[in-house]
Parts: sequence; structure tokens; C-alpha cells
Amino acid sequence: MHVEFLGVPRQRAGISQLEVQANTLGQLLGTLASQIPPLSEFIAVDRLHSSFIANLNGDQFISDPATPLVKEDRVLILSADAGG
Amino acid sequence: MPFGYHGSYLRIDVSTGSSEYVPLSDAVLRQFLGGSGLGVKLLLDEGAAVMDPLAPEAPLVFAFSPLVGSPLTTSAKFAVVSKSPLTGRINDSLASSGFAIAGKRCGCDAIVIVGRAAELSVLVIDETGVRIEPATEYRGATCQATEAGLKARLGANYRVASIGPAGENLVRYATISHDGRHAGRGGSGAVLGAKNIKAIALRGTQRAEWANPGELTTISKSLSKRSFGPATAKYRELGTATNLLTFNRFGALPTRNFQSGTFDEAANLSPEQLSTTRSKTRESCVNCTIGCEHIYSLGSSDKGRGVRVEYESLFALGSLCGVSDSEAVLRASKRCDELGLDTISTGGTIAFAMECVERGWIDEPWLTFGSGDALLRAIDLIGSRHGIGDLLAEGSRRVAHAVGHDSIAFAPQVKGLEIPGYEPRALQTMALGFAVGARGADHNRSGAYEVDFSDKVDRRHLTLDAVRHAIDTEDKAALMDSMILCKFLRGVFEDFHIEAAEMLRSVTGWDVTADELRETAKRIVSAKRQFNLLAGWTPAEDTLPDRFLNTPLPNDPEASLSRELLDSLVSEYHRQRGW
Repeated sequence: MHVEFLGVPRQRAGISQLEVQANTLGQLLGTLASQIPPLSEFIAVDRLHSSFIANLNGDQFISDPATPLVKEDRVLILSADAGG
Repeated sequence: MPFGYHGSYLRIDVSTGSSEYVPLSDAVLRQFLGGSGLGVKLLLDEGAAVMDPLAPEAPLVFAFSPLVGSPLTTSAKFAVVSKSPLTGRINDSLASSGFAIAGKRCGCDAIVIVGRAAELSVLVIDETGVRIEPATEYRGATCQATEAGLKARLGANYRVASIGPAGENLVRYATISHDGRHAGRGGSGAVLGAKNIKAIALRGTQRAEWANPGELTTISKSLSKRSFGPATAKYRELGTATNLLTFNRFGALPTRNFQSGTFDEAANLSPEQLSTTRSKTRESCVNCTIGCEHIYSLGSSDKGRGVRVEYESLFALGSLCGVSDSEAVLRASKRCDELGLDTISTGGTIAFAMECVERGWIDEPWLTFGSGDALLRAIDLIGSRHGIGDLLAEGSRRVAHAVGHDSIAFAPQVKGLEIPGYEPRALQTMALGFAVGARGADHNRSGAYEVDFSDKVDRRHLTLDAVRHAIDTEDKAALMDSMILCKFLRGVFEDFHIEAAEMLRSVTGWDVTADELRETAKRIVSAKRQFNLLAGWTPAEDTLPDRFLNTPLPNDPEASLSRELLDSLVSEYHRQRGW
């Protein structure tokens, strides 16, 4: 699936998007932590730190590592703290 | 008197120069804490709700808090509380700076100002007492020039909060500024201007004692350490401006007076882009370990220190006005700071006027969406109340009433306060927060956007279950604004109420619990409502402009909010509040 980074995750990743293969959100986060070490500070095994959140296809915010993903999905990784 | 307080407020009548320290009971301090809570309580006692906010007798409260002066990070904050000249409802604006510490060292927990000085003056409070000195030479001066001039005159160790030309000219959304920070929303600068007070200069030597200094030090160190972690990375690394691209991605970036939720040229204004073409420095408020201030350079003609960039300013003066020229937007933000204007209400009112021009209802053909020159010109006209600026200085609701044509349907305001940078149709828990906000559309008194950016709700298809979450964020904000702590810390707490009780116990010596603080928060929210009821509030005010209730977002048809849904959310909110 396609992964987009926004804000601090983008800053740390040094890229705005990439393609990753994973069947669940937990798998995806584990892969990101190993492929992009600067992101590992925000990922505990298969979960995001509480200050960050994932969104599926611009619709639903997701946090359960077991959330199934399919190849066509777009997963956004961003700061949960949206205030200004 | 509990530890952490002085046990009194200083009431000053600037008509006569008289002043007195008025005792505050332990019960009142424990029930309302400080900041917004104490300010609202004092306003209710003064009978301010039924007064014209610009009348001499109307009180303006500067409220400190038990935590001010402590080593707790982000605690150097003060609240400015009054009836708003923009909304006619309660207004509490907070700012972070050494002014809070200096004010508390004057030996009081709040300063209440009433009356009207005979000429433009500075109110000086120091160890010799209270005095009013002429300040006519500062007429028309910017906030920064006034502060620098008065420090040169009085001494560098005074802390000076001032109004700019906008406050002098009673612009209804004028700010009070100190050290580049602003008590921004709702027009407290106009209230001070109506008192002929250009500035307040403070210097004090009195310190409140802490109940358990050792425990307070331990708590402070822990909090500071956590404030360097992931929960505040956003503020440290990119600042609030990083919201811009995130909100744009979710179709929640208000654009061209809320006619769209996406701005094609948003990237031009993003911190990611700005930092590739401009130098940037980072600063912190006094006694803050987060350091959220990102100050960007302006073009070569700028002789100053650049401009502090915040999301709310970028959205209001950028996408909301359709302006993508970053130099124009940053200059507009800086000009607002100089004149003493709230950037959100300034941008909201100008964007509304631009749409009225587009429809042929305001005859100012130069005032068009996308024009940076028009934006800058309009800001100067507002600050001086010249030309069309005299009308725009009244805020979008009053402009709509003057323009007619049912333009109130798209005036971007609730209760008269211009809507911050959260598209209500795309963030519907925030829509509820805006609708019921005591001071109007407000992202600082309701953090309901946090709920929208979570898995607790479906942000575009809300159910009544969202109401309790919205209430929780409002209560938490009321507590943080009364203790006072910066909301940018909120992510570092595992259980804010438990930790807040620990902080207050170590400062005050009270046997306060998390449950008591939950009740305190509800008491403060209710006090604001009581103020509004006395000021004439009716249930019909708890709503949004028609635009948001009859038009889906063009770029996102799922982002649709019906009047029926909003009404049911508001009713449920009132029911859960017990109102």
C-alpha cells in the first residue's frame, strides 16, 4: 500500500511517501520502523506513540495493530495533536 | 491564605488613580484557581455582564495563577478577561510571558482595572505603589515601540504590556501584547484603549511561597524532561504551522472565506517550504522548555527580527484570503502584531469582505481574493479605522449587518468571533465546539479537533456519542487556562487530572484530588455560561452560519453538516451539561 507522511513524521522520514507491503497496520509500522530508523522513536513494536496517529484513505483514523490493510490502501502517518 | 497565592487582587480605578488590595477568600481561590476561572468570577462580582464593555466602568481583569512563578514549565501565563466588545459575551485571552511573573510579584493574584484616564496613559505598578503617567507621546506607536520606549523610560526591569494603534482606535478585535506574545482574541486591546491606557508597566518583588518546594521541584523536573519528548516534537520541530499541509490533505483548511477546504497553493505557505527559502530561529516563552516559536526572516527590506509564524495566522491571512505569496502573508502577520490586531479576526473579516466585493455588495474593487497587496492595505486601514477599515474594524458580524443581502449566512463567525482554522464540515466535533463556545468560535477553549483526529469518531459523520468527548476537551481547557499551563503540554500527561492535582497540592498545600479538579473545570465552564446568560445569551446563539449547514464542501461531498444534526448535537451538549 501507499504510505504518506505529514508533518513531523515526514520531517523525520525525509520523504513524503513510499510503497510498503503489509497485511495489517502493525506490520506496516514494524516495517517502517526498520526501514526508516528515525521513525522508530515514534513506533513501539507495532503501535504509534500516542502523539501520532494513522489514517486510512483519508477517512478513518486507526490505531489497532490488527487493522487489516489491502494493497490499494493509502495510509497517512501524522501528528495526533492537530491544534494550533 | 493558601500557599502559591497572595490572597488578594489589586483593583485600580484609572479615572482617579485610586487603588486597593481586595482580599480573596480561600474558598474562591480553590473554586476558581486563577487565570480564566478567577477572571470570570471577578467579572461576575463586578457586574460586568450587563455593562458596555467599552464604557469606563467596565472592568478588565489580568488574572495570574497559583503556578505562576513556580519552576513548572509553561506556567508563566496570564489571562486577560473582560466582556468582549466584539461578541458582547465573555472573553478570556491568555498569553505567555514574563508579564505574568512580574504581575504576581506585585503582590496580587489579579489586577482589575476600571475607569478611564483623562489622557492616553501608562499604568505603572511597582514597589512604590500604583501611579498613572502620561503616555501621549506613544499615540499611534506600535506595541513593540511602546514597550521599548517605556522600558527605556522606566527601567529595563519593568515588564510592559501594551496596545497598538488598533487598541487606541477601538478596533473590536485589538490585542494586548507583551514581548511578542498576544492576548489575542475578542478585543481586550479595545477595552484597554477605551480606558485611555496605552500600556501597563509592572515591577515587583513579592514572591508567593510554595507548600512543598521539594516535591514541586521533583514534579517540575519530571514535567520538563517529558516536555522534550515525542509529545511536543511537532511544536519544537515545525511549529503549529505544520497543520497547514495536514489540514489541506484532509480537506479541512479553510480557504477563500470557507468556500473550500483545500488550497491549491498551500505548500507555498508551509513551514517545510518556508524553511527552504528563509532563515529561521526558534525561541521559547519565559519558563518554557518546548520552544514552539518559529521566527522566519522577511525580505531584504525588513529591518526587524522577522516574524513569528503560527498556523492560525498563516491560514487566516493566507488560504482564507486566497493569498499564496508567502512574503505578503508573513508581512501581514507582522503588521497585525505591530498594530495590535488579532490575526484570526483580521483575516476572517477581510476574507468575508473579499467575498462581499466579489458579489458586488461592497464597492472596493481592489479588495480581491488572492491579492497580497490588498491584504496589507486592508490591515493598515483597519488599524487606523480609515476608509473601509472603519467598517472592517467592527468584525465580520457587524459588517454583515451593514452590508445586508443575507450576507450573515457566510460571515465566518460564531457569536461574533471569527472562526479559527478548522473547517467545521470536515471536523464536525470541532463544529460543535465552535457552536457552543462561550466566547464564540474558538479552538483554545474547545479542543474538539483532537477528537476529530482520533479513532473516537468519524469526523464527517458524527453521532451524539461525540458530545461527551467535546465536553471533556472543553473542561480540560478550562482547567489548563485557570491553573495556568500551556495546552501544548497536554500530550505529555498520562492522566492530566491526577498530575494537575499533584501540582496544585505541592504549590498550595490543598488536599485537592483529580475528581475535585473535574468539578472545578465544570464550575468554571458554568460560570462563563452564567456570565453570558446575564449578558443576554439565548440558545439560538449556539449555532453556525448557514453556509456550513446547507452547503457540503465542494471538494468533499461527504463533508456535509445539516442543521438538524448540529441542533441535535447542541441539544445533547446542553443536556449533558445539565443546562
